[in-house]
Parts: sequence; structure tokens; C-alpha cells
Amino acid sequence: MARAMWKGSIMLGKHSVGIKMYAAVEDQTIRFHMLHKKDQAPVEQHIIRKDTGEDVQREDIRKAFSLDAGTAVILQPEDLEKLVPEDSREIEITRFVSPDVLGDQWYERPYYLGPDGDDASYFAMAQAMADKNVIGVARWVMRKKRYVGALTSIDGYLAVSTMRRADQVLKFAGIEPMATMKPAPNELKLAEQLIASIEADFDPQMWKNEYHQRLLKFIEAKARGEKLAPVKLKKKVAQVSLADSLKASIAAAREKKVA
Amino acid sequence: MPKSKKKAASKKAASKKTPSSKKKSMRPESDENTGGATVRPLWSGTITFGLVSIPVDLLAAVRPRQTAMKLIDKDGNALGRQYHCSKDGKKLDNEDLVRGYQTDDGKMVVITDEEFESVAPEMSADINLINFVPLSQIPSVYFQKPHYLAPSGKSSKAYNLLVATMERTGRVGIGNFVMRGHEYLVAIVPDNGVLRADTLRYADELRSPESIGLPKKTKPPAPLLKEFTSLIAELKRNELSTKELEDIDADKLQALVKAKQKDDDNVVHQRDMETDEPESSEGGAQIIDLMALLRRSLSKRAVVTNAETSAPISLDERRAQRRQASEKTASRKKVASRKSGKK
Repeated sequence: MARAMWKGSIMLGKHSVGIKMYAAVEDQTIRFHMLHKKDQAPVEQHIIRKDTGEDVQREDIRKAFSLDAGTAVILQPEDLEKLVPEDSREIEITRFVSPDVLGDQWYERPYYLGPDGDDASYFAMAQAMADKNVIGVARWVMRKKRYVGALTSIDGYLAVSTMRRADQVLKFAGIEPMATMKPAPNELKLAEQLIASIEADFDPQMWKNEYHQRLLKFIEAKARGEKLAPVKLKKKVAQVSLADSLKASIAAAREKKVA
Repeated sequence: MPKSKKKAASKKAASKKTPSSKKKSMRPESDENTGGATVRPLWSGTITFGLVSIPVDLLAAVRPRQTAMKLIDKDGNALGRQYHCSKDGKKLDNEDLVRGYQTDDGKMVVITDEEFESVAPEMSADINLINFVPLSQIPSVYFQKPHYLAPSGKSSKAYNLLVATMERTGRVGIGNFVMRGHEYLVAIVPDNGVLRADTLRYADELRSPESIGLPKKTKPPAPLLKEFTSLIAELKRNELSTKELEDIDADKLQALVKAKQKDDDNVVHQRDMETDEPESSEGGAQIIDLMALLRRSLSKRAVVTNAETSAPISLDERRAQRRQASEKTASRKKVASRKSGKK
């Protein structure tokens, strides 16, 4: 049983649904140490004054908020203390919306929520959200930080993804490709055929951390002292016209399916 | 000044190796059309589907939060990070660093940037779209971070073809690739005429209710289910309000800064201030780069806005701001040096 990282309550109407929070992501990145090339000793990071290069002690470090490239306002520790939000265990739901309303760019990091004491309310809420096909916009304070999140129901359980803030997410307008760069109708048709020939359902299980595994193998071999020849990159086929490469691609995809 | 050495080091290697970036380095560093902005993509390579290949530059698609702080000392001097060797205490530059992996028996194995790439050179150079799936089939827990792709070749025709075809079919391309020594599963998604590369998590990186050990599902009592259903219906809206997604921390911070700014003692004039969190320093300048890049390679009228204000981030305006800022810095440099001279 994984350990809960936080406990709180989802506030809805007169209900307060107790939850325990668990990380949904298991970090699998390979950890490397930064070393000094010459003696392979680990490195240490110092904070220095940029003009003199002198080391600065931790208690002398301050933070500043920059107004432009050359101007900033110093914030003292007591100023920063004022910015810390009030501690709370409540997750406030401001509204429910259809999941389509929220683009993928908003989702940051997912967490599973488990029931804390009141299983009936927890599963009632999870099922009601699934029945209505909605996600909830949530706000809460956790470990002295404010969060905005999307409350979702996954396979009958509640989960919450932290979300990016409004001014972080970008939008585009005015994209109007030059006339000479617009694909021709026959190219569009061929491209649709090509996509149709390699279309599939999303199957996350078919994707493995290939590089990760190859890297670990490489490291093991190097640790054993094996001599490793660098892999050469295959030469790419020179590109002909767009329509011709589409036709050739469709033919190749068909062959693959038959085989 | 290096932010994260690990990143900087592998980025350098990536730009050394990928064929498309080689081409790019032959381009003049500053371009008239971009107002002198040097575009630094996070990754350069090729999207391939079938035998069609599309050279692209990958850039950040989210801005850092507007709460990032700079590091200074008590007297207002700009601070930075510096690596030292733990053995001989020497200051180290980027070139003095290597990455090492510690094996279970405590042995340290050094991996060079070239070796990182040679493990899977094709994955470092290409995003090969293996299949096309309906976007709606990808659960939200998989989405990690969005990026934008700008066409980097001479022709943007194949790029536009992929955008148009994915828009028409409602399908998005899935593939995987290596960037800065890390492997990413990625969905290539059309977004208002531009391609987005949204990195995805691998299935084995995600836990499930079972693996966490959540209690078995129980059927909720009917009256309770009914009550929750009507509570949800009451709070159900058709649209999202960006007001609910705004950054309260940034607003409060800005209000505080404004108040403190009135007292000159609180104001620092320094160049090259380094961000407190190395992660947040990238991305900001990239937005201007992105717009310049897209205008040059895709569409002259490309405009980037943020979701909150929908106000266009005008390229000309930002250029003027940049100019202003650098002029200000130049005149203030004297002030700063006078100040430090006093001490």
C-alpha cells in the first residue's frame, strides 16, 4: 500500500468528502551524477556574486522580482512570508465542465485520490461525475502552496491533475499558410489514405522506454569494460515530390499489413 | 551562464549531432525578419510518417509562471550558480563536466554526450509517427508537457499537409524520440494551423488505483448518488472561466512588488540576474522566438496570445520593450558600478 502524501476534503454542497492523495506518476528517469571530467569527483554548486566570483553564504541570499531586464525589487524574507497562503485542508470546486472544454495543454501532474473514512460519499461522487461525464475545477492549498486542478473520475476512482495557470498557456491566431505552401487536393487525399493505413487505437502498453533500456544496457557493458563501437546513423532516402513519397508510403504500409 | 549543467551539456551535444541543426548553424545568427532574435529551439530534428519527412524546430508552448524570482545578495548584487569540484575545490566550466552513473556496487561509470546519443541515434534525430489515433482516446493523465513545432526546412508544404490531414481526420500522430538524454512518448497534435508536440508519459510510469492499493470499489447507496448527481448538475457550466485558472500567487506578488517599489531602497539595478528556479528561466524568451520563427517559416500573420487575456503578444511591442530594456541597462550600468564602488 502506497503512502498518502496529503489528506484533505472535497467541499461540495453541505458535503465534505474526505480524501487521501497519492502520486499517480512513478518517476523512472535514470539519475546521473554531475562529475568533474578530470578526476571524476562529484561537483558542488555554490552561489557566487557575479561581479567578483566570491562565494555568498546562504543567509545573505535574497530574492528579487524583476520588473524588466535591468531592474528588480528586493523582497525580504518577511515579505515572502506574507505571500504564503493560509493553511487549509479544503478542496474547493468552483464548477463542473465537460472534459472537452479543457485542452491537453492545461494538465500538469496527476494524483489519485482515495477515500478517507467515508467510502460511500467518495464512490457516490466518483460515480456521479462519471455518469454526468464532467470534470471539476478545483482549488486548494497544500504544503504552503496554492494549486488549481482538474478533478476527474477514472474507472470509478477520483483523481486530480494540477493545472497550468491561465497566463501560461498559449494560443495561436492568424496562421494563414502562403498559397505556394498549401497542399494540393491530391496530396491531401493521399495523406488521408496514408493516415488511414496506419491508424490505430491508442494503446499505451505498446510503447516501452526503449532508450532507457538501451542506455542501461550500454552502461552495464561499459562498467564491465567492454569496448563499444558507436552506432552509425542510417542515411536517409532523398526526398522526391510530396505526392510521390505519399504514394510510396501507402504502398509500403499496405505491404506491411499483408506481411 | 549555465542554468542546469546537465541540460546545457546534453543540449550542446544535441545541436552538434542532429543533421538539421547542422544546416541551421550555417544560417546567419541574426535574421532581418526576426528583428535580430536568435531562435534557440529545445530540439531540432525531423518528423517522419511513411516516407515523408518534415524538418522541425521544437520550442516551449507554456510560459513559466509569473512568480519566478531572481537571486541577489543583501546589497543587491546579482548572484549566480557556479560548480566546484568537491575534491580539489576548483571552479568548473561547462566543458569540465561529465555525467556519471553509479552502479549498484558503487562503481561510477562516465557517459559522454556522444555516448548518450549513440545509444539511439535515430531516436535523437527523428520523431517517427508509428500510428495515428483519435485524440479523445488519450487519457489526460498521460499528458506531460506541450511544445510547439515550427517548420525548419525550406518548404513548409509537408508541414501544412500534416496539419490539414490531422485536422480533417481528427487523428493525432504518436511516436517517441530522445531529447537532452531523455526519451519521450509524444503526440503530434494540430493546434490552429500549428503542430504541437505534447510529450506523454509511458504506461509504466503511471500508477493505478490497484497498484496504489486503494480500497475495492463499493456501490454507493442510491440516495447519496442521486444527491451528488444533482449537486454536480447545479454547478455544471458550459464554459471554463479563465478567471478560475488565474494565478493568484502572481497577482499577490505583483501587488506586493508595486507597493515596495515606491521605496527606492528596495529597487535594484543589475544586469544578468539569474532565476531562482533554473527550470523557469527557459520558455519566456522562447515565446518571442516562436512567433518570429512561425512568421518566417509558416505565416506572416502568426500571432501568439495567452489564454488569460487573449491580448496578442505583439512582436513589435516586445522588440521595442527589449530595446528599451537594454538602453536602460546601459545607462544604469554606470549607476550600479558607482554604487558598488562606494562600498
